[in-house]
Amino acid sequence: MKLRGWRRRDEELDEELRSHLRMAVRDRVDRGESPEEAEAAALREFGNVGLVKEVTRGMWGRVWLRQFGQDLRYGLRMMRRGPGFAAVAVLTLALGIGANTAIFSVVNAVLLRPLPYRDPARLVTVLHDGWKPVAPANFIDWREQSSSFEAMAAAQLWSLTMTGRDRPEQLEVLQTSAEMFQVLGVDAALGRTFAAGEDQPGREHVVVLSHGFWQRSFGGGTDAVGRQVMLDGEPYTVVGVMPPDFQFAPFWATHAEAWVPLNLGRRVSDRRGQSLRVFARLKPGVTLEQAQADMEKINRQLAEQHPRENEGLTVSVDPLHEKVVGRSRPALLIILGAVGFVLLIACANVANLSMSKSALRRREIAVRIALGAGRWRVVRQLLTESLVLSLAGGAAGLLLASWSNTALASLGPDTLPRVRTASLDAGVLLFTLCLSVFVGLLFGLAPALHSTKTDLTESLKSRAQGPSRGRRHERVRQLLVVGEVAVSLVLLVGGGLMMRSFLRLTSVDPGFNPRGVMTATVPLAGPRYATDEQRAAFFQRLTTQLGSLPGVKSVSAINHLPLGGDVWTLGFTVEGRPAPPDAERPAAVYRVVRPDYFRTMGAALLQGRDFTERDDDASPGVLIINEALARRQWPGEEPLGKRIIVNGERSKSREVVGIVKDVKQGEWASEPQPEMYLPHLQAASPRSMTLVVRTSPDSLEIGPALRREVWAIDSDLPVSRVSSMEEVVAESVGQQRFNTLLIGLFAATALILAAVGVYGVMSHAVAQRTHEIGVRLALGARGRDILGMIIRQGLALTVIGLAVGLAVALALVRVMSSLLYKVSTTDPLIYGGVAAALTLSALLACYIPARRATKVDPMVALRHD
Amino acid sequence: MPRESRYQNRIELLQGTLDLLVLQTLRWGPQHGYGISQAIRVNSGEVLRVDTGSLYPALHRLEGQGMVSSEWKVSDNNQRVKVYRLTAGGRKQLASERSRWEQLSEAITRALNPQGQEGEA
Repeated sequence: MKLRGWRRRDEELDEELRSHLRMAVRDRVDRGESPEEAEAAALREFGNVGLVKEVTRGMWGRVWLRQFGQDLRYGLRMMRRGPGFAAVAVLTLALGIGANTAIFSVVNAVLLRPLPYRDPARLVTVLHDGWKPVAPANFIDWREQSSSFEAMAAAQLWSLTMTGRDRPEQLEVLQTSAEMFQVLGVDAALGRTFAAGEDQPGREHVVVLSHGFWQRSFGGGTDAVGRQVMLDGEPYTVVGVMPPDFQFAPFWATHAEAWVPLNLGRRVSDRRGQSLRVFARLKPGVTLEQAQADMEKINRQLAEQHPRENEGLTVSVDPLHEKVVGRSRPALLIILGAVGFVLLIACANVANLSMSKSALRRREIAVRIALGAGRWRVVRQLLTESLVLSLAGGAAGLLLASWSNTALASLGPDTLPRVRTASLDAGVLLFTLCLSVFVGLLFGLAPALHSTKTDLTESLKSRAQGPSRGRRHERVRQLLVVGEVAVSLVLLVGGGLMMRSFLRLTSVDPGFNPRGVMTATVPLAGPRYATDEQRAAFFQRLTTQLGSLPGVKSVSAINHLPLGGDVWTLGFTVEGRPAPPDAERPAAVYRVVRPDYFRTMGAALLQGRDFTERDDDASPGVLIINEALARRQWPGEEPLGKRIIVNGERSKSREVVGIVKDVKQGEWASEPQPEMYLPHLQAASPRSMTLVVRTSPDSLEIGPALRREVWAIDSDLPVSRVSSMEEVVAESVGQQRFNTLLIGLFAATALILAAVGVYGVMSHAVAQRTHEIGVRLALGARGRDILGMIIRQGLALTVIGLAVGLAVALALVRVMSSLLYKVSTTDPLIYGGVAAALTLSALLACYIPARRATKVDPMVALRHD
Repeated sequence: MPRESRYQNRIELLQGTLDLLVLQTLRWGPQHGYGISQAIRVNSGEVLRVDTGSLYPALHRLEGQGMVSSEWKVSDNNQRVKVYRLTAGGRKQLASERSRWEQLSEAITRALNPQGQEGEA
């Protein structure tokens, strides 16, 4: 629009100059010159038409721009003249804007950026109860009977071993229906994705690679397509490579690096093995509600046709984006709110600073207005100065953000999807620019309006602050301090609650001692490990060899490492009790362990005995249970000697031979469920076991030796997830640590900024009252009285701020309750502690200027005007 | 751009005076650019010739500052011309520039003919 106005003005200028020439020519002709002569003369007189146009055009819009340029230069000059003020202001703003930029870049990456699929708003998940996987036969019925979707596809995770390259490698691969890429609407960057029907038996040995995996294993060579890889001992042909930003699945199995067709084979009629995650694309125009209604109808029919398997199962259609970010949203938004509060406090501080500054410039401003500058013109000049500051702060903040961004990305827990892709992209830069301008207006407007609303003659006459205006000025500054204290109280309460919750969380006894325990997962694959006996023999041999390494105190293995692995649940029956109906059949978390597991992990065996190498198939069935299971099944009875049959485990009758203390299972924050341990030699030997090795504290890093021993037995086996148990524990509270760290950091920043704010206002107040203090001292007041007076004044402000902050905090922190572990949002200890900490820092901030006040020399002060 | 800066130097040099002349000319009524330049020439007894390269930038600048306003009109011989008119702000500006000019010229005259100093013999 602006451009069109410009062009019109250009045409008008043309016409204007042409009419000038025409008139000049006609005048000459009227005076008797020939038309040719007249035209030539007029042109000569006129001069260079193009140049005239150019210079004239230069006048357009210049007035405003020139004034802005003047203001800008003046602002920069003011910055140079008061470098201390400028440095403090820019630094404060950089802190606020930088923190906001960094957090926004994470929010942008995790919550705002669309998923890397075509038209992702139409992608949904279809799952039982909103999260449970789906049995193959149900999926097939859904796909055939539903009418709301363009396409529907299923996926399941397959952890496998890739061999045939340098080192055997453990891979996460997704088996997906051939239509999956159609659902997602993404094409391969190289080669192709799956063709229709490639998920049928006999055609499924093709694989699509992720960009990262292709780079790593094929060096990014275009000849990768058509090559073969060995997955779990079978050859697969590479048919395609996905684009770099492609990732699937976006929640659960987020580390998948390759995709192979899902061949359901005989499982097409399986309604029990719930292993599939179902994804679908809504037809255009079909709403979520319609799809939900459609699926519910089908689900009801299935429940009638197959009551045994489908009774009580619900189905829910959810937006894929919601599924991915839904869990992270509350925490991130709260963190964004916290960092916004920090910025508010920073603004208040800078506003305070520039108000004391503008008090000093009152005469300058009065002179400007007296000389005829309009009030608006002066406000504009002052705002330009604020903008210079805030943009400088924004630039410094960007620097800060780009630096902390790397830290945030690496700190970000695995459970925060896409956090590692956080970067300062165009959107974030725009955000920072807008924020800087907004902040400049925010802290600049009040002082600018305030200092131009001035009684001219008054300010020109008196050199010192007129008393009435001074007080009004002071009141605005006091209000700012009250606000600062209130906002930082809210932040500190939030930070305090998070900290307390985190301490509660990490001081919980996990039931084992993670210190000095190393873990590594060894998955067995291929014909050499086809039977339970072969697998059991391998782990027996491996643990024996590891046990003889120097520094190793004890070695064992478990199917699913607590906190780091899956949690499977199996049903069981207690012998001698009537079989309960299906729905009430007891179940417990199922673990398979080798002897010495409890000793190695430092888990307390409360009663009975551990497993031994003699607890094999030939000997009587045994089992160890946890306290929770003992309490649940035999309250007040002696569980030892009781017998249990575990479903699917060879229907063997097993005697309870031991009871262990409850150990944390899947998630750190949840309560232990009933759990049962089966001896490795007496159970269906899992294909993948995790080794646990306890070493003496002074022994060297055991990781390399672990790998060496595995490869000494079989060089085709991958060793994955080598990490200490402490790392596993740390990872399981990663999300909480991330939240606590950030909110705590912002709360600490708020505390410091608020203290600086109180200090600034009190220093200014003392400077203002030098005269009055001098009079008081001259009249016989003691230093102590003055000290008390100043501190009382400062504390009064703090207390008002605390009261306001408490009210706001009580109302606001309720949104945090979902982030807290066993801490009430009204925890009086936190509120009290935070109020005390704030009062103390305010006291300190008042003390320094108050001390200065007592040092006032009455003679000097009385002369001071 | 050296060429432009040369022109601008000239504008700077003439600015105060040219503005004064333009505003004064418009006091007699709305006028187009060519008319203004002719009027200044005639009224100054053919002494002052206003360069178009100064006149039009000045007109556009004055318009931007709100001293004059402009509109398109059809002239006596049926042609579209852009006509400038003095605004209230321009009237005020004219008064102050006029008094400044009078002070200035008075001061210069006085400086050239100092009283109490020795006269020309």
